[in-house]
Amino acid sequence: MSTVEISGVARLRDISEDEFHAAYGADRFTSSVLRSRLQYVVEHMSTAFMREAFSPIIRDWYDFACTISGPAEQDYPMAVVSNSLTPFLGTMADALRNTVVEYGVDRLQPGDVLICNDPYRGGRHVNDVLFIRPVFVDGRIVSFVNMCAHQLDMGGTVPGGFSATKQNVFENGLVIPPMLLWSKDEPVRSTFSLIFDNTRWGALLLPDFKSMLEQLKLGERLILENIARYGLEAYLGTLVYATDTSAERMRDAIALIPDGDYEGSALIDADGTDASVEYRVHVTVRKRGSSVEVDLSGTSAQARTSINAGVLDAKTAVGVALTMMLDPKVPFTSGTWRSIDLVAPPGSLVTALPPDGPTMMFWESSGALIAAIFEALNPVLGERGVGGDYGSTNTHNSHGLRADGTLWTSATQAGGEHGPWGATRHGDGDSYTVLYNLNNLDPATETIEHDSPVVMLRKGHAIDTGGPGTHRGGAANVRDTLWLTDASHWLSPFRTKEPSGVGANGGRPGPNGAMWFFPPRDDGSAPSGLVGFSDEEYAASEPIAGMLNIQTKKLDPQGVYHHFASRPVWKTSPNTVLRAMTNGGGGWGNPFEREPAKVLRDVRDEYVSVEGAARDYGVVVVGDPALDPEGLRVDEHATAALRKGR
Amino acid sequence: MSQDIATSPPLAQDRVPVQGLCPRCGSAALAAYPVFSEGGWFDVVKCQGCLHSVSRERGPLLGALRLLADQI
Ligand SMILES: [Zn+2]
Repeated sequence: MSTVEISGVARLRDISEDEFHAAYGADRFTSSVLRSRLQYVVEHMSTAFMREAFSPIIRDWYDFACTISGPAEQDYPMAVVSNSLTPFLGTMADALRNTVVEYGVDRLQPGDVLICNDPYRGGRHVNDVLFIRPVFVDGRIVSFVNMCAHQLDMGGTVPGGFSATKQNVFENGLVIPPMLLWSKDEPVRSTFSLIFDNTRWGALLLPDFKSMLEQLKLGERLILENIARYGLEAYLGTLVYATDTSAERMRDAIALIPDGDYEGSALIDADGTDASVEYRVHVTVRKRGSSVEVDLSGTSAQARTSINAGVLDAKTAVGVALTMMLDPKVPFTSGTWRSIDLVAPPGSLVTALPPDGPTMMFWESSGALIAAIFEALNPVLGERGVGGDYGSTNTHNSHGLRADGTLWTSATQAGGEHGPWGATRHGDGDSYTVLYNLNNLDPATETIEHDSPVVMLRKGHAIDTGGPGTHRGGAANVRDTLWLTDASHWLSPFRTKEPSGVGANGGRPGPNGAMWFFPPRDDGSAPSGLVGFSDEEYAASEPIAGMLNIQTKKLDPQGVYHHFASRPVWKTSPNTVLRAMTNGGGGWGNPFEREPAKVLRDVRDEYVSVEGAARDYGVVVVGDPALDPEGLRVDEHATAALRKGR
Repeated sequence: MSQDIATSPPLAQDRVPVQGLCPRCGSAALAAYPVFSEGGWFDVVKCQGCLHSVSRERGPLLGALRLLADQI
């Protein structure tokens, strides 16, 4: 490949109909219709899989994605993606190329399903298995239809896998190199056995594998129907058109950044060994004209345990960050990265290498890269800046035995997996959603309580935790769960030392969260009601993680860091309550310019206390939010005086 | 509780200086290094002033990762 010149390319909307047809094998209208029909294909596959899946992480979390990519002659463009997990979608273009090239594209046959789960070849962690089906026309591969789905277990030392404590790829789980799971529509028994002999809960995996085969066949059939209807030339042209659209739109978005070099960083508190080592993700964003170079130099060497991310995850994070900050409407195809070069020293926290850089909690470190890019660009974007999110899924993973001796397991349901976003120029941040780095569902409380011996006691917004701003950051989420049997827990919050919910355009950051256990009463019974927030209740707690006052055990940014893996496994007795509090979202704009009526509404709704209204917003609210919420009012004279003194 | 905490050391990507002038801006600051972009890994020579790519050659499929299986 020789010199690539991006500037000077004619805009898609300006080229003539003849030029369009020459480039994309169809007229504009046909290309647009075909692209939309392919979008339908991946959504239909997704809906069908969601309906059929047995695994709770598929059924309740939407922990999968579907894509359509072009053939080798086009260099495998990923043209169409489902509306689902960005950490999957961002890696799937390169994962497909790496898997197909290593296996040998010429060895693929109609009816094959090629799989790979190696994080270093394809990104993510070993639980996420990529399934690839080649689509043939007249004996030639014209496309690939693909699914990537989280398997509830992929072996390794921790059931379910979600743990920061694993020290190498051997403890992490089974690594599957590019190999066939179906050959000419016949199952490859040795591959199935390799998986089932090295993983837990195969009875859940097997029906899901069968369902995925049917969805891949559905995708293949619908693609062939579209080719029959519109012609192969129009189909192949549409794949290129789809990625060119992303590339052009991202190029326009990048132009919003002034030329310059911008640095940012974000901290990961510790790995799963002990609290003695912190990890910093550092980024330099160099922008000139329509090009961007994102240099990860300055990022810490890879961690000793399974909190690392691979370079495909780093590339995904860069695409997510620039899309979120600059133009959320850029279609997330392989064309997103056309004007972006990632400079990535190997062996870092976000470019880890085997065997000693395992990647189980990869989205936490790649999420820190997103935060570092936010820190780099927010100051230059001014009003277009975006507040940071809650920064970590604070993942909970546990298991135990019911009274009848059967095993229960709960993964990513009962920690601080969901929380707030930061504010933007458009308004306040949402208070209960997913990380910028994810795009998944929130499992229903009824499902969680049905599947495990747990009672969801509390799932609400914590007061005074939205980063103050003209537009307020989303409030931190506090979740209390009561565990009814003996239980073994792994808990994984990573961003409690520095705020993840950074402010934008003069807004202030949200505070950081933490995790605690509240033990049962002396006679072993459960607390008589909700666990509250009093000094006495915290004094009786067992801190797990976060910056806490050593005496009161309450949140204290100047306090002592408590390490989430100070015990390799947290064992609790029946009727213990787990509390997970997330970080708050970042505010946007000067909080002393927030409309007093909005602060009043926040006090009524208990997002902000009367004290917080005065301290953080310079708004004096009079009345009692608990006993007479509708009687609250703003003291306008006192407010004017307070804001003037600021 | 004592808290003796270090930061895992920073890594850096080397950029090898290359003789020549940027055809776009005339700068003599050309450098060679690998980048990861649309299409995978590329070994590039880029102008450090304006980021113009003077050359882009396809790099190794898996970047810095080497597979023993390739030695079979
Ligand atoms: Zn130049």
